[in-house]
Amino acid sequence: MNKIRITAMLSAGLMLFAGNSLAQDLSDKQLVRTLGRVEGAAPAIDIAILVEEASASAGKGVASLPHWKELSKLSQLIVEIDFENDSVAIEPKSYRTVGLIADALHHPNLRRYKFLVVGHSSSTGEAQHNLTLSQKRADAITNALSTTFAIAQDRLYAVGVGQEWPLDPNNPKAADNRRVQLINLGLVR
Amino acid sequence: MHTRLSFVAGATLLALLSLTSASWAETISFADAVTTLATDCGSDIKKHCKGLNLGEGKIQACIEKNAGKVSPTCTATLANVTASIKQRLAAQSSFAKVCEHDAAQYCSGVKGEGNLLSCLVKAKRVNERPCGQVITDAGWR
Repeated sequence: MNKIRITAMLSAGLMLFAGNSLAQDLSDKQLVRTLGRVEGAAPAIDIAILVEEASASAGKGVASLPHWKELSKLSQLIVEIDFENDSVAIEPKSYRTVGLIADALHHPNLRRYKFLVVGHSSSTGEAQHNLTLSQKRADAITNALSTTFAIAQDRLYAVGVGQEWPLDPNNPKAADNRRVQLINLGLVR
Repeated sequence: MHTRLSFVAGATLLALLSLTSASWAETISFADAVTTLATDCGSDIKKHCKGLNLGEGKIQACIEKNAGKVSPTCTATLANVTASIKQRLAAQSSFAKVCEHDAAQYCSGVKGEGNLLSCLVKAKRVNERPCGQVITDAGWR
């Protein structure tokens, strides 16, 4: 029940494992290690452009999200956080995952960094609705992190991309596509 | 009303306990704290707090508002969880100040909070001192 399936996707230059991803039970120490690997040449990300691209491309897929591809160059993890149906309320069974993220983000190795939470949905339902809901859910996660766990607000950003960037493009309705990406955006200035 | 009163009394007692014991009590991680909340209050939250999120104290307010309906275990757990989170946050934010002296003595020239922490954790003498206790309470070992 408390077992959390977490897929750690390490970006290309930082790849430690042979596969693209691995499923594991994650600890906050592993989170700190994975998210703390920062490359000097990491691109700067403009959140406003991401939001603009996502809202202009509901239903058009990943091809119309050129700036989003930059994100794959950054240290990141994929976690599963479950919500009540059609709601921004995080299911109690996923509280632990949010707590783990809070533990990691408070660690001295990560305290200087800011993070982006990206909400993804499957393609079940209407594209525009999925986009709006995924943005609200990403907001709910950063809201919980900044209020319940006192992570400084200037370290947290949230965007939703709806169904546009499926993990499994051949099977966009699959539940695996519902996921949360946690991305290290680099130093807080 | 009676439940409400005893909840307040329980919470006050816990708050007092956590105050007096703050210097030595084991703290727990945020993940463990909210896991306990989910385990002991999960069904009450789903029943009485539908649609509410973990942020902004909304779950806490909802459980307190429904104190007469939620299980006594959940009420007690909520107070514990709130205290645990506060305790760990307090330890983490006191790190810089409490460890300032030891940092200067054992890790002078070490740059960056992460590197400083690794240095302090390795310094044997530090572990027996308040700085060592703060590192433990902060969950950074």
